[in-house]
Amino acid sequence: MAFQSLAGIGLRSPHVEEMLATRPAVGWLEIHAENYMGGGPAMRALERLRSEYPVSVHGVGLSLGSADGLDADHLERLARLVERVEPALVSEHLSWSIAGGAYLNHLLPLPYTEESLAIVTAHVARVQERLRRRILVENPSGYLRFEHSTLEEAEFLTALAQRTGCGLLCDVNNIHVTCANLGGDADAYLGALPAAAIGEIHLGGHAVNDADGRPILIDDHGSPVAEPVWRLYERALARFGARPTLVEWDTDVPPLPTLLGEAAQAAHRLDEAARGERDVHAA
Amino acid sequence: MSTLRELQHDVRDALLGSAEATVGEIAGDGVTPAARLAVYRHHVLTSLTAALEATFPVVVRLVDQRFFRYACDAYVRAEPPAGPCLFEYGATFPDFLAAFPACRQLAYLPDVARLEWAMNVALHAADTGVLNTETARALPAGTLESARLALHPSVTLLASPWPVDALWRANQPGGDGVVDLDAGAVDLQIWRRGDDVAFRALAPAATAFRRALADGGTLTVAARAALDAEPGADLAALLREALDDEVLLDCTR
Repeated sequence: MAFQSLAGIGLRSPHVEEMLATRPAVGWLEIHAENYMGGGPAMRALERLRSEYPVSVHGVGLSLGSADGLDADHLERLARLVERVEPALVSEHLSWSIAGGAYLNHLLPLPYTEESLAIVTAHVARVQERLRRRILVENPSGYLRFEHSTLEEAEFLTALAQRTGCGLLCDVNNIHVTCANLGGDADAYLGALPAAAIGEIHLGGHAVNDADGRPILIDDHGSPVAEPVWRLYERALARFGARPTLVEWDTDVPPLPTLLGEAAQAAHRLDEAARGERDVHAA
Repeated sequence: MSTLRELQHDVRDALLGSAEATVGEIAGDGVTPAARLAVYRHHVLTSLTAALEATFPVVVRLVDQRFFRYACDAYVRAEPPAGPCLFEYGATFPDFLAAFPACRQLAYLPDVARLEWAMNVALHAADTGVLNTETARALPAGTLESARLALHPSVTLLASPWPVDALWRANQPGGDGVVDLDAGAVDLQIWRRGDDVAFRALAPAATAFRRALADGGTLTVAARAALDAEPGADLAALLREALDDEVLLDCTR
């Protein structure tokens, strides 16, 4: 089956042994780049798994939006990992996490301004040049916006893709979370993204917390994909066509079969989307 | 209006600052800017604390989780990670604990943390070549004697006045936590063999031998250091032991 219509799972350390022992049927695996920048057993396990599954390298620490500049050493480490793993996809985030030499371990929000766009554009171009390949940039989950933003997030991503030739990783759960928290329209967001640039879709669970007595959705990847997110995913597939789709589960990591079950639900919808595309082409 | 760089430095300071800290450019939108920023601060502090808990599980058990999280809150704010690989975060945590007033009476705690940090280093160290009995035998005569035999990057030598090896073992899941703190000093070697991280106590001659190699000494220099530590040391046995442990770096290629 074409990679476009395969569902994958985020590879998490509690599942590695079981994956190696049982080799379950799943379309592909995504790793967090920063967990594989040392040596030791983690890297050896990945070497074995990558002979059986396509792998996607998903960076969480490059800080594409840092006005202080890209960390050249970290980009080199990412380049070495990409050379070693030869992944099907490489992706990062529209966010920043480093300022003044401190890495804050969070995908922090950018003001969507021309200044930010120029900085992220330069960084994405430099990463693609160093890796000698196209990367995908993911929309973050948002809990705040800056008053001086002049662009919508989808507009910003569209301009970034146009200027750098990068693809986009559309995290459907993040769109749902961001729109709920910041008062946006998820369908309008989907409609504003350039379909041809979408190279991957992410799904994950979110929690509902309280902020100042009002509900706020937290993208914690700690539960099954929520129903409204599955519905939004179906509309994303209808708009973009089948795209490799990943289910992420990072906190309270469940037994492997639970995660595979979530991926199977995504695979079912991908099959339908792919069938729909064939019917359109045949007609 | 601040530049993006100024804004990011302000957000960084606010995230590592007090619960009320905020940044002027954040829109309210029905929830206060401070409450919105607090969502991010909570993740920064809890995720980095979780990373430290994973690296220092015995320290967590010795001080209990609530105290550990209290200490981490102060540590993360004072010494946030310098880079994005979290397996590299926490090198200075043992020194931080040594200076942290609230646990000063637990004199052995920093060395337990040093042991756990060394195990973390061993787990993630680069997979560079090991000099073992087989590879050493294949060397041309005379090579070994004059070569600078560095220690493999997975190896840490830890000297402690406390029985930290016993402390570690007694505080594994299911352990009884009972340790005789008067058992005295240990010299430990912590390293990775294949996929497994291990530690063991070394005799004085073996410690001196490895420390001399770690300082860049040749085999001859290391042999002299071992004899200084233990006049009757068996030099051939010391080399064989180091080769069997697989703690030497193959720098002859």
